Amino acid sequence: MRKLFLTAVLAWGIAQVGWSQVTFPRNGVYDERSGLYAFTNATIIVDSKTTLDGATLLIRNGRIEAVGKTVSIPAGTVVTDLKGKRIYPSLVDIDSDYGMPALQRNAPGGGRGAPQYDSNKKGAFNWNQAIQPETEASAVFKANVPQALELRKLGFGAVVTHPHDGIARGSSALVTLADDRENLVMIRERVSGHYSFSKGTSTQTYPNSPMGAVALLRQTYYDADWYKKAGKTAEANISLAAFNQLQSLPSVFEVPDKLGVLRADKIGEEFGVQYIIKSAGDEYQRLDEVKATGASLIVPVNFPQAFDVEDAWDADNVTLAEMKHWEMAPANPAMLAKSGIPFALTTANLRNKTDFWANLRKAIDYGLTEQQALAALTTTPAQLLKIDNEVGSLKTDLLANFIITSDNLFSPDNVILENWIRGKQYVYSDKNTPDLRGTYALTIGDRSNLKLTITGKPGKPEYQVLVDTVKVTPKISVANDLLSIQLQLDKKQPGVATPGTTRLTGYREGTSLKGEGELPDGKTVKWTAVLSQPFSMTATAKGDSAKKTAPEYGKLLFPFVGMGNLEKPKAQTLLIRNATVWTNEKDGILPTTDVLVQNGKIAQIGKNLTAPAGAQTIDGTGKHLTNGIIDEHSHIALYSINEGGQSSSAEVRMSDVVNSEDINIYRQLAGGVTTSQLLHGSANSIGGQSAIVKLKWGESPQEMMLKGADGFIKFALGENVKQSNWGDAVRIRFPQTRMGVEQVYFDHFTRAREYDNAWKAYNALSTKEKARAVPPRRDVELDALAEILNKKRFITCHSYVQSEINMLMKVADSLGFKVNTFTHILEGYKVADKMAKHGVGGSTFADWWAYKMEVKDAIPYNAALMARAGVTVSINSDDAEMARRLNQEAAKAVEYGGISEEDAWKMVTLNPAKLLHLDNKLGSIRAGKDADLVLWNNNPLAIYARPEKTIIDGTVYFDAQDEDRKHDELQKERARLIQKMLTAKAGGAQTQRPTFRRQRMFHCEDVEGAMAEGEERQAEK
Amino acid sequence: MKKRTLSILLFASLGGFAQNPAPAGPQARAIALTGATIHVGNGQVISNGTIVFDKGVITAVGNGETPTNGAEVISVAGKHIYPGLISPAATVGLQEFESVRATIDYQETGSFNPNVRALIAYNTDSEIIPTIRNNGLLMTQAMPDGGFISGSSSIMNTDGWNWEDAVLKADDGLWLSWPGYFARSFDYDTFAVSLKKNEQRQDAINAMMATFSDARAYADLKNPAPKNLKFEAMKGLFDGSKCLYIRANYGKDIIEAIKFAKQAGVRKPVIVGAEDAGRVIDFLKENSVPVILGPMHRLPNLQDEDVYLPYKLPGMLQKAGVLVSLSYNGEWWRTRNLPFQAGTAAGFSGIDKEEALKMITSNTARIMGIDNVVGTLEKGKYATLVVSKGDLLDMRTNVIEHAYIQGRHINLDDKHKRLFHMYREKYGQPDIGK
Repeated sequence: MRKLFLTAVLAWGIAQVGWSQVTFPRNGVYDERSGLYAFTNATIIVDSKTTLDGATLLIRNGRIEAVGKTVSIPAGTVVTDLKGKRIYPSLVDIDSDYGMPALQRNAPGGGRGAPQYDSNKKGAFNWNQAIQPETEASAVFKANVPQALELRKLGFGAVVTHPHDGIARGSSALVTLADDRENLVMIRERVSGHYSFSKGTSTQTYPNSPMGAVALLRQTYYDADWYKKAGKTAEANISLAAFNQLQSLPSVFEVPDKLGVLRADKIGEEFGVQYIIKSAGDEYQRLDEVKATGASLIVPVNFPQAFDVEDAWDADNVTLAEMKHWEMAPANPAMLAKSGIPFALTTANLRNKTDFWANLRKAIDYGLTEQQALAALTTTPAQLLKIDNEVGSLKTDLLANFIITSDNLFSPDNVILENWIRGKQYVYSDKNTPDLRGTYALTIGDRSNLKLTITGKPGKPEYQVLVDTVKVTPKISVANDLLSIQLQLDKKQPGVATPGTTRLTGYREGTSLKGEGELPDGKTVKWTAVLSQPFSMTATAKGDSAKKTAPEYGKLLFPFVGMGNLEKPKAQTLLIRNATVWTNEKDGILPTTDVLVQNGKIAQIGKNLTAPAGAQTIDGTGKHLTNGIIDEHSHIALYSINEGGQSSSAEVRMSDVVNSEDINIYRQLAGGVTTSQLLHGSANSIGGQSAIVKLKWGESPQEMMLKGADGFIKFALGENVKQSNWGDAVRIRFPQTRMGVEQVYFDHFTRAREYDNAWKAYNALSTKEKARAVPPRRDVELDALAEILNKKRFITCHSYVQSEINMLMKVADSLGFKVNTFTHILEGYKVADKMAKHGVGGSTFADWWAYKMEVKDAIPYNAALMARAGVTVSINSDDAEMARRLNQEAAKAVEYGGISEEDAWKMVTLNPAKLLHLDNKLGSIRAGKDADLVLWNNNPLAIYARPEKTIIDGTVYFDAQDEDRKHDELQKERARLIQKMLTAKAGGAQTQRPTFRRQRMFHCEDVEGAMAEGEERQAEK
Repeated sequence: MKKRTLSILLFASLGGFAQNPAPAGPQARAIALTGATIHVGNGQVISNGTIVFDKGVITAVGNGETPTNGAEVISVAGKHIYPGLISPAATVGLQEFESVRATIDYQETGSFNPNVRALIAYNTDSEIIPTIRNNGLLMTQAMPDGGFISGSSSIMNTDGWNWEDAVLKADDGLWLSWPGYFARSFDYDTFAVSLKKNEQRQDAINAMMATFSDARAYADLKNPAPKNLKFEAMKGLFDGSKCLYIRANYGKDIIEAIKFAKQAGVRKPVIVGAEDAGRVIDFLKENSVPVILGPMHRLPNLQDEDVYLPYKLPGMLQKAGVLVSLSYNGEWWRTRNLPFQAGTAAGFSGIDKEEALKMITSNTARIMGIDNVVGTLEKGKYATLVVSKGDLLDMRTNVIEHAYIQGRHINLDDKHKRLFHMYREKYGQPDIGK
């Protein structure tokens, strides 16, 4: 029995080799061939590490049968001598959309149209249209002749393709680029699972922000886990079942930029997935952080065009960062390679696929080695997606996907002659076309004063005829051994009125060319061209052999913005002497006092302190030293503000969208701000989770996050959440009244309580019981709400009118927790006594009012009235501009309501620290606290005050004295790059017109896309 | 009697809570304010100064020796006296709540409206007005907005029973929005706003020039028939009786707008906004064109720009000899912070406080052509002035204790103070602050 089985297997194996079967009928007489080919005497690059000279490649039926120097060639093999030619594995692109259906983009509309709360995809699928794990590229794949041709010409043989649509995009398929029926083109289904932050063609309202996309994907992971364990009894869900199946495949995450790499990796960490990340080409700007993710990358080579900077003024619209990226982007692959980050290259994101080779060679000029480039296009992509047993090298049994080249693949002179795909030949340049290059003595009829030179590349020859000393460029076409020539012999001859075209037809014979032709006057002539000097590289190609020197480029900046740092600033030991020190402690304001900063902390306060060794001494005479300003309500340094897709978005985290590259970080350091609470907007009753950051200009989002801070969440009341000012189309979402807002809270907290109880009950079970029980479905939204109930997360609530302020306090009281902070709180003065009793703080504007109905009773005395009623009051910005002068806003509490200067100052330092539960380390100048300090030239509350130094954790992040130098350097770097761009344009490089990308300034109310109109005006709060 | 009490109570409750205080009556007798630091508004400071005014006009300004000639002497020792501040390019009185369309009256439909007059919509009962007065703003320019020519503005006193009563100078100028060299475009795919070269700009400029040529020709007619109300309203541009306020920001737009105005025969062009004025300083000077800057409380336009550029710009222009004024271009309630913009200019651009003060007093008056009556505290001008507890340009000391508009002693009550006192009393809190 056993023997029989073995025989059967053997027989089957042989049958496979000798006789391949297919299911589909063919019209006409079968024309099956052995597909047995040998390529001899070639230089074979088996993979990026192995090159065999004078070797043979033997293929049969579309697979590689043997490769090596001593391959025996069976009878019946078609043998091709490839002496002087090279064979490479065909290239592999693993981020392709080849053969995928065209994506139906949403009709451009955006804005505040009618929302869509349910998925348009009918069936037992996920509730959200952007979650499409059930999509299988193999099922929607249709071979596409022009797309395949374009890629084959570039040397690609196979791609991993998937529809680039949605947040969970389903599985990919490995297909070849052969022109054949799909049954033969598709090599493997379900190669990898794909994910992104972009909801693609989904028309569903949720999610409408990147942090919403993160939350949705996280929830899907939890849902799928629940579905696997217990969910099937509750519902049928094709999407979750498919999602679970995807988890055994490599996971690929497409991200929009370098910080997206970090964001995706954070999700992977939570679920034990190491994503392969399709990046955007700017990773070199955050190399260390990208490397630390441990992710392998799929990297595009879409280098930006130079900008048109010919007009000196218009060119100011191009940022230094854009210019530097233009210069440095080609170095991205080399820098990744140098730092040891594994990566594959892709043609994705190229404006034109035909730019691929030019850009790749540019990357090589910038330091990527040819071996690295080849690996990134063959073995690495194949290994990353575990398809290296099919493609990526020329090893036995792999697909016979290879290219034949005239030269080193990466040489500018190289021509890709043929691309074989699964044993099928595609010819792009006839390798048998004779190399006619050389110098010939040309005779046409009785004219023998002619010289023909043929130079250029073998596949792309260049022709020139010398008529005595006059150069003429003839038109010549060569096909096999036939030639056709047109030239104007008498073009520049004086005395001839109308120079005509002489037409010659002929053929090659040995090294000579000959034939017959017709002169312009119709006379028939014979012609010959006799080789007088064979072609030699050195004779013509000047400098080609000289190794190009690597291009030079400027330095990195941290962050990658004009005002960024050449190096990340470091903490110092600082002794600030003889300053007026605003301690915010019992000591009050101390004249002529020294403060010592060590190890990022305030070490000592006193008179005549001794400077420790290595300390930098700063003269504070006549100056004021204070804590850094803490902005309780900020929206800077964020990619997005509102996830307004639902009435509750408690699941979204602003920490997912911190943008460390925002120039407003630096601008606010120049206004003395050191810490900001980055809040979700006020588009919905329950917003998202806050990020509390220190404005460490140059550090990554992760490094900016204030470690150990309590969790906060934004809530909102009033006109924004009931969408009062959003137009008549938007009247669907519950709630539309203040009555409904209360119910949103009761409803959500009731569910959160039940959820929390279910978990508590489950967690109380013994291990044995747990094994039998069904755990509750993890819900990231209810997690956040349960944290509030359990006093582990704290509310900052956008609020205006006294009725709603009172309401939320009552809701909280009835559920047994406290509201932490009301923000805006412009009618707080009307219920200040109730607020004091509840123990809630107020973070308000100094003097804003009249921008909508709910602020008609807002008064600038609000801060003073609340403070005197016993409420902890802070003054916040909600505005990137205002945050630069929060000291001035605090001073208005002195003007309106007569608050003392010391107490007014606390409203932007100690009080917000208290509201953020950070007053144990921030907010006052006391030994042991964080050294977040500002040295002012004046009383900080004076309109004339400006920061001279802004210090965070003992590190100087803004130094007024250094500003001029920084600006000079910035201008010099701009000037250098502008000159370089002008040279590039003069040299024929394509340029793009500068477009002035205005940074959007976020405020509470900004919903993605809803800000287009009236942006110039101060947006509503 | 009972009925009368009731009606008084009713009146009081309405007047005391919901309404602005009554406008002040005419100056009854000569007043002398003494012992103050007088900031004249032209750079001059008089310590321990005396200012005397009668029938709404200043009769004497000088040091402590200045004779008071029987005027009622009010000692304001230790205080500071400033000219009433002038707030140009504002929508105060023309809008109440930004989000409530019914309360917005600064933008007419259509794009060519030289004949519409902001004055007509100016609501003296706006609750915004008393609040800006309390920071020293005694005059505000009611400015129309929108379209290519928005209409004509007027300069209003911030106290009066009605617009007719409040107007200081009617129809002082027309407002033109220059077609920008860059046009804003919005990309729905990326939700990004970008500026691109405005391809329709030249057409717009040509059309404007044709209109101005027609208007200028019309202005030469003695008895035009048919009568064109729009061109009637433009007449003043060509004889210099009206300013042409041109909204332009980018340097190229400023140059083109001024060249346009000169070619069109406009006698008094003024550039408003002027965010990029820093690089056309010489051009502005050579052409003697003044500038009303938009809000300084804005971010730099460019990522690579000096972070303090908006704060520095007024001083740069002033030091170079350009006549410059500060505004909150198109804003209403926020204009009350105008003195602090001047303070910021002093703090950040290396000019002294008196130079900064000019930008919200005398310079503005000169630009608008009202410097013969207001803008400085000089004999013969209106007694439109404020007495402040301290430095008017600093938040901590900008506490207006008295305000006079043409000698009328203004009631400084406002909605914010009323609500403050109402709740202060509820909580038993002290009466401190302004």
